[in-house]
Amino acid sequence: MIRLWCIQVLAIIRLEMKKTFFARRGLWVYLLAFAPLALFVTHSIAAGHHRDQLERIARDHPISSEAFSDIQAGMTRDEVTQKLGRPYSQWNRHTRNEHNEPREWSHWRYTDGKIELHLFFEDDKLTGIRRSELDTLPEVARIFAGVFQSYYLRLAVFFGCVGVFVNLFRGERLDKSLHFYLLTPTRREVLLAGKYLAGLLATVVIFTSSTALQWLALLWQFDHTAVADFLTSPTRSGAAGTGWGQFSSYLAVTALACVGYGSVFLAVGLLFRNPIIPVAVVLLWEGVNPFLPAALKKISMIYYLQSLCPVAAAPGQDVPGLVHLLISPVQPATKAVAVLSIVILTCVVLVVGARLSRRMEINYSTE
Amino acid sequence: MKEDRIILENVSRFYGEVLGVNRVTLSIPPGITSLVGPNGSGKTTLMNLITGLIRPSRGRISVLGVDPSQPQRLFRFVGYSTQFDAFPKGLTGSQFIYSFLRVSGRPAPECRKLTTRAIEQVGLVEAADRKVAAYSKGMRQRIRLAQAIAHDPGVLILDEPLNGLDPLVRSETIALFKRYAAEGRHVVVSSHVLHEVDMISDQVVLMSGGYVVAEGRIRGVRSEIQDQRPMQFLIQCKQPSLLASRAFEQDHVVEARLLPEGAGVLVKTRDADAFCRALNHLALAGLDIEGVVPADDNVYSVYEYLIGGEETTQ
Repeated sequence: MIRLWCIQVLAIIRLEMKKTFFARRGLWVYLLAFAPLALFVTHSIAAGHHRDQLERIARDHPISSEAFSDIQAGMTRDEVTQKLGRPYSQWNRHTRNEHNEPREWSHWRYTDGKIELHLFFEDDKLTGIRRSELDTLPEVARIFAGVFQSYYLRLAVFFGCVGVFVNLFRGERLDKSLHFYLLTPTRREVLLAGKYLAGLLATVVIFTSSTALQWLALLWQFDHTAVADFLTSPTRSGAAGTGWGQFSSYLAVTALACVGYGSVFLAVGLLFRNPIIPVAVVLLWEGVNPFLPAALKKISMIYYLQSLCPVAAAPGQDVPGLVHLLISPVQPATKAVAVLSIVILTCVVLVVGARLSRRMEINYSTE
Repeated sequence: MKEDRIILENVSRFYGEVLGVNRVTLSIPPGITSLVGPNGSGKTTLMNLITGLIRPSRGRISVLGVDPSQPQRLFRFVGYSTQFDAFPKGLTGSQFIYSFLRVSGRPAPECRKLTTRAIEQVGLVEAADRKVAAYSKGMRQRIRLAQAIAHDPGVLILDEPLNGLDPLVRSETIALFKRYAAEGRHVVVSSHVLHEVDMISDQVVLMSGGYVVAEGRIRGVRSEIQDQRPMQFLIQCKQPSLLASRAFEQDHVVEARLLPEGAGVLVKTRDADAFCRALNHLALAGLDIEGVVPADDNVYSVYEYLIGGEETTQ
């Protein structure tokens, strides 16, 4: 019997593949999945170009980074020039003050190939110093963590799963072709399992490949030796383990998100004629998760998914203080608890869905 | 003992407050059974109930002893061609048949064989590798039929299966139904085309407003209502006026009408047996009778009698 079910599930997956991967109505899922990739590729190209530019300038205007530390506010242009030489880039602006006296504002830039020093002069006096460092590997890992947790998990994977899983049953109801499945000697539970696995295969392939490509795009700007070191050495990767460890964690979290959200949205597509409201409720619940008390936080998918992320994406400095106050800190779940919780939730939802599918009827006229 | 009938016991189905079918009790034997009735009479609802696509609000259904809520058992021997004119996207005719045969769990070589045979049976060999989306209405009807018969079912349920078919394919399809019936299978057909139903059916189920108003063999149904409504005979003879006057002498004859252009005499009688006996006497007395045809012993007439004022669709 189990062999028969497996054959049936495989046949259903084969039938669903075209619809889940190549459906015209699913194009936006690809857009959601690959939008951050476009962002990271653009960032990498720009950062790589900037890095090359600074290295070239540093070769033409050699400066030691130690000399940067000698520069202090209040110095005159001549004092700065004595220590660092002429800037590689200079920008001047002339204005007049309230007494109609001429004022000169200047912005000078120096680089040692790794750090860029921005000096701001008012007339002849140095009034501002800003150091901008090129991306480092731990820094891009933090950038990736932020984008992954705030956009990719919460929006891209979430809505991608909505698009794929809700349509597994609902889409065919709208197309009036669901009955063909129901006219085969297949248990409804097997049909549900086949459709779920087809959706899962599609979302896991789309979203994990995007995750992998995003990761590669971010590392692309660095030289091979540094990347190899980052991937294999825990010290270069920060406290989050080796780069490979982080990479595989992100892939696993992406796949688990598809597993969990997929089951929820499959059930939504099965249960509701109009899935917008239940999807909005789930989105709201997952969205307000940071502001929920610790006990309620744990009744959400995003809490467990974030617990599995190798780099914590703490709220940035630009987050308003009031929002900071509203965010309730909570210890992340252990890896085992997080994985188990998602798997248990998925199983429960699928079992309920399977029971509901037994009572599923074809009544297209009311759809 | 294995049950060989499709049985519906006091089956009702409501869509909210709207009646689908009400208190339907049927026992459908092997052979061709036609469900006849106007739009909204409950034919499709009845077929969907028999195949488990919808569940009854009340009552019990058994298809050869199997509850329709068990698709894994039911569709081993049931094929259903629905009226829904939609297909999974992107499939060719043969992919469509093959894919759903595979879903039933059969091995690939068997599915290929069954697909080829089904497509041959409905005459779609040349179009088999074309996308279903590019098929004409008649071809889509045939590919649905092919899908219903592909696994060689013992029970074939067909919702308006002759719709959109050209005359040649129509006659081939009817021949297919008759062959299935001759092999002892159940063929349940719904149709608006009453003369075709009349031609192919072993028995009819007349439906109106969600109720079964009559069922059985057409002649049997006619006999049941004979007392209530007169029966009509078309008699062709060389002396129609004489026949009309002699016929009208009979107490049970309520009308004897001469048809134009020598088409014969239409006689309405309340007692068909007595009229036939009287006709024999007239023939023996020398009246040259060329032919006697029951003018209303067909589904349409029976249906018209039963549904009365309601509009029927042809």
